[in-house]
Amino acid sequence: MREVAVIGAGLVPYGKYPEKTVADIAWPAVKQAIEDSGLGKKDIQAAYCGTALGGMMAGQRILKKLGITGLPIINIENACSSSSTAFREAYIAVGAGIYDAVLVMGVEKLTKFGGGTLPLEKEDWEVSHGLVMPALYAMRAKRYMHEYGLTEDQLAMVSVKARRHGKLNPDAQFREETTIEAVKQSRPVADPLHLFHCCPSGDGAAAVVICSAEKARQVTATPIRVAGSEINSGKYMTGYRDMTTPEITVRGAKQLYEESGIGPEDVDLAEVHDAFAIAELLYYEALGFCAKGEAARLLEDGETSVGGRIPVNPSGGLLSKGHPIGATGVAQIVEVVRQLRGLCGARQVEGAKVGLTHCTGGGVSGFDHGVCSIHLFSR
Amino acid sequence: MNDAAEDLKQALNIAGDAVRREPDGSVRLVGSECADCKARVFPPSDVCCECMSENMAPMAMGPGGTLYSYSVVHAAPKGWTLPFVAAYVDMTEGVRVFAHIVDIDPADLVIDMPVEATIALLGVDEFGQPVESYAFRPAAKGGE
Repeated sequence: MREVAVIGAGLVPYGKYPEKTVADIAWPAVKQAIEDSGLGKKDIQAAYCGTALGGMMAGQRILKKLGITGLPIINIENACSSSSTAFREAYIAVGAGIYDAVLVMGVEKLTKFGGGTLPLEKEDWEVSHGLVMPALYAMRAKRYMHEYGLTEDQLAMVSVKARRHGKLNPDAQFREETTIEAVKQSRPVADPLHLFHCCPSGDGAAAVVICSAEKARQVTATPIRVAGSEINSGKYMTGYRDMTTPEITVRGAKQLYEESGIGPEDVDLAEVHDAFAIAELLYYEALGFCAKGEAARLLEDGETSVGGRIPVNPSGGLLSKGHPIGATGVAQIVEVVRQLRGLCGARQVEGAKVGLTHCTGGGVSGFDHGVCSIHLFSR
Repeated sequence: MNDAAEDLKQALNIAGDAVRREPDGSVRLVGSECADCKARVFPPSDVCCECMSENMAPMAMGPGGTLYSYSVVHAAPKGWTLPFVAAYVDMTEGVRVFAHIVDIDPADLVIDMPVEATIALLGVDEFGQPVESYAFRPAAKGGE
């Protein structure tokens, strides 16, 4: 594999756009990414589009708006990891030398469902018996609280921190701070999770342009190197499993750190899949930012806030920036690229050299998660 | 008891053959065991997820199990009776089952408490017909 770099990044402000089509939501992010890359649209040799619920051939529907057609367009569904999976596939194609410059995009329009919990596949046995994503995360939280003594106040602090970061991100869906009391008093969803412990339903899109590192040096002064790429499916387990340990993330992070030669101590910031507040705490531990059972302390000590040792979700994360699910993987990459380029203003992680993105996807019985994709970037 | 039984007869059993009521009134779940490698799975499957054998035999499980974790759910698609208690129950046979917990004040739920299978009405389907399936309730005194 040859070296691959991100050379352009684009993102639309997250929010609710029920009147817009998927294509209309996404094309501005694509245009922004291409203009940011230093390449022209004719230089794009292939496009990969991740969306979970955006319908058939979303990539073609988006790219025809910009006249980027007559090239391979690959549409990828992998739940909340749809566009991180698309990025991984594009990375392999460029790394293998099949293409020199490729577009990756992610898009989702959740307002078309009119709110409520994410619609899951009804053929799944647990879904057919009433499982919804908040309940799954709530059961992780309940068990973690039981085993490690996590308090309701500590759980609420995840959301408080997310909103504090999101306030500094002009693209975030939620831009107001909140308090521990307000989180705990928000509407109950699946105890111990209240509304503010849950990512919002919304719409958004993100895009990046990647190319060979050699080409990147010719077109931009600030290429961001893809320093590691990993994807896995969960292990299907019919028996007892430890829901306080997200096995797929632990396994993936270990593999990625080994392959890249970069360890958790080298990571300057991380965008992780905080679909619900408990998830962020589990991922501190799974990604090796702290030992098992110490996530709440890491959060309370401010180590995962901007200005701390390992800022997590400086964008506001899924909880505050928003989680239009198919867009999330690439949106995380956009944030890391901008952080490593020093473009993030008030939420900038000073001196950041290495960033990590972590994206999961669930909703299938018997798995911790169905999919998890982790990437490392460096400048 | 008889009235409840009458109600249940009219409800749509969404678990199919994965649940059965024994002659003594107890409720058991029915999964599968691989005749070749002895792997167990719930709900039933016609192929083994360990060795890919199609030599699968029905296996009754429960009624006893242990409450691994739970949540009082206030948000779910239309049809489910809200709020309900969602849970993972570890069956003594070694499989974990997602189910609703019934017949208890949620404030009295304790992680790792013993529970036993029952059949309960859980909501209505898209046509308004009541749906029932297996669920769990606190184990009767005197053990499982």
